[in-house]
Amino acid sequence: MSSEPTDEPQHTHRRTPDGEPRSLRFDDACIVVTMALLALITFANVLVRYFTDASFAWTEEISVFLMIVLAMVGGSAAVARDTHIRIEFFAESGSAARRRRLAQLGAMLVALLFAFIAVISVRMVWDDWRYEETSPGIGVPQWWYSIWLPLLSALISARAIGLYRRRSRQSDAQYLARDEERAP
Amino acid sequence: MIATLLFTAFVVFMFLGVPIGAALGLAGAAAIALANQDAQWFGLLAVPQNFYAGLGKYPLLAIPMFVLVGSIFDRSGVALRLVNFAVAIVGRGPGMLPLVAISVAMFMGGISGSGPATAAAVGGVMIAAMSRAGYPAAFSASVVAAASSTDILIPPSIAFIVYSVLVSGASVPALFAAGMFPGVLAGLALIIPAVWLSRRHRMGQNESSEPRPPFWRSLREASWGLLAPVVILGGMRMGWFTPTEAAVVAVFYGLFVGMVVHRTIGLRDLYEILREAGELSAVILIVVSLAGIFAFSLSTLGVIDPVTNAIVHSGLGEWGVMGCILVLLLIMGMFLDGISIMLIFVPLMMPILRHYQWDVVWFGTILVLCIAIGQFTPPMAVNLMVSSKIAQVRMESTTRWVLWMVLAMTLATLLVVAFPQISLWLPAKLGY
Repeated sequence: MSSEPTDEPQHTHRRTPDGEPRSLRFDDACIVVTMALLALITFANVLVRYFTDASFAWTEEISVFLMIVLAMVGGSAAVARDTHIRIEFFAESGSAARRRRLAQLGAMLVALLFAFIAVISVRMVWDDWRYEETSPGIGVPQWWYSIWLPLLSALISARAIGLYRRRSRQSDAQYLARDEERAP
Repeated sequence: MIATLLFTAFVVFMFLGVPIGAALGLAGAAAIALANQDAQWFGLLAVPQNFYAGLGKYPLLAIPMFVLVGSIFDRSGVALRLVNFAVAIVGRGPGMLPLVAISVAMFMGGISGSGPATAAAVGGVMIAAMSRAGYPAAFSASVVAAASSTDILIPPSIAFIVYSVLVSGASVPALFAAGMFPGVLAGLALIIPAVWLSRRHRMGQNESSEPRPPFWRSLREASWGLLAPVVILGGMRMGWFTPTEAAVVAVFYGLFVGMVVHRTIGLRDLYEILREAGELSAVILIVVSLAGIFAFSLSTLGVIDPVTNAIVHSGLGEWGVMGCILVLLLIMGMFLDGISIMLIFVPLMMPILRHYQWDVVWFGTILVLCIAIGQFTPPMAVNLMVSSKIAQVRMESTTRWVLWMVLAMTLATLLVVAFPQISLWLPAKLGY
C-alpha cells in the first residue's frame, strides 16, 4: 500500500441543500437495481458466449428495455436533484427573485414536456395493445414495454412539479448562498 | 419561418437555464405541431415515438457501462498508485508534478471514457500533492481539468460512442483508433505550457524535498492499473469483446481491483457508485432521446438542405468553411456540454461533409477535439468545475492559467485538421 495513506482521494458526497424528498429513495433503489442488472446481463452474455455454444442474444431486447427504464427513473431522480444539463451562467446570477423565476420556469417546462409525453404516449400504448403488436426479439406483447413510457413520464413530471414547489418556497438567502457554495 | 422559431425557442430556453433536454424536446414538439396543422393530432404522435426510438438502441448501452467504469475507477485507488509510479520514473524536480498529472490523466483516459470522472480521480490525488509541493491551487486545477479532457479522445470514449450512433459509416472501433494519436498529441501539447509556466513562475519549489517512491514497489502496486487498458483496448482489438462488453469487463475488473486488491471500495460504496453512475447515464440518455425529437423536426421541416446550400455557395471555400466550423465549435464549447453540441451539430453538418467528401471518422475526431477544449474553457467547463471544487478555488481564478492550455490544445487541433493522417493512420493500419 501507499506510504502516505492520506493521499487517498476524499470523496465528498454531494447532498442537495434544500432537503430532497424521502420518496427519492425509491427512485434511487430502482436505479441501482437496473444498473446492476444491466451490468450482470451483459457480463453473462460474454461468459455464455465464451464457455458454451448457446446464444444469449435474446437478452438484447431486455437490456434495451432496462436502459429505457434507467433513463426515465434516473431522469426523474436527476429532475428532483436538479442535476440535468443546463446553462447556469444566467440562471445562477443576479437577484434572488430573478433566480427564483428562472428556476421555476425551468421546472415548469420540464413538467409540461413530460406531462405532454405521458398523455400522448397513451395513444402509442393503445395502438400497441389494439393491434396486438409483439416485440421483435422475444415475441411478447409490445405494450408490456411501452406501457412504462406514460407511467415513467408521469413520474418525471411529478418530480418536476415537486421541484417547482421546493424552488418556490426556497428563501432568497438560499438562492444567493449558492454563490458561496460554488466559490469557497 | 417555423425553422427560425424552432431555433429561437431552443436558444432562448437554453440561455434562461431550462434543462437542455427539455428545451430541445419542447422546441421540437412545437415545430412538429406547427408544420402538421392539418394532420391528425398535429402529427404529435411522432414525439413519443421518436423519444422511445431514440432511446431504444442497443449501441447506446455502452454509455451507462462506460459511465460506470469511470465511477468505479474514480474510487478504485488506481490513480494514486499510477501517480506514485510516474513520480518514481520521472523523479522530483520543478515542473515534474504537472507532467505526472497530465501523463496519469492520459493513462486514465485509456480506462474510463468521460472527462469529469478522470478529473475527479486525478484531481483527488494530484491537487493535494501539488499544493504540498508549492503549486498554486488554481494552476493545479487548470492542469488537471485540461489533462482530463484528453480522456474523451483516448479510447474508450463516451463522446465517440454518441457520434457513432448519430453517424452511419463511423464505427466505434474505427473512431476509438482514430482518437488515439490526436489524444496523445493533445496531451503532449498540454505538457509544454504546464512545464513552461511552472518554471517561469518558479512554482513547486518544495517539490525536490518530497520523497521519491521506490521504483519496483511502485511498479508492483501500479500493475493492476497498468493492466486495465490492456484488458479493455486489447480485448476490443483482438475481437474478444464489443465496446459494450469491453466496458462491462472493465466494470468487473475495476470492482475486483477496488474491492479485493486495493480495498478502497466497500459494499456501501457500491450502492452509491451504482446510483451515481445510473443518474449520470440517465442525464446523458435523456438528452440523447429528446434531441431525437429535435432532429426529427429538423429533418421533416427540410431546413437542412437550404442551410447547406447557403454555406456551400458562400464563397468561403473548403478551408474557409472548416475554419468557420472550428470557430463555431469552440464558441459552442464555451457554453454547451459535449453531448448537446454533437446532437445539434452533427445532423446539420452531415450534408456539408458529404459535399466536401470529408472523412466522417476524421471529422468526428476534430469534433471531439473541440468538445474536449470546451470541457475546460470557462465559463461553462465541466472538468474545470470538478477540479476547481477539489482545489477549492473559484473557477474565475483559473482563467490566467487555463487559457494557455486552451491555446496549446487548439494548436494541436489545427495540426489534426491540417494532417488528417494523424487521426486516420491508425484505423487504416488496424483495418477498420
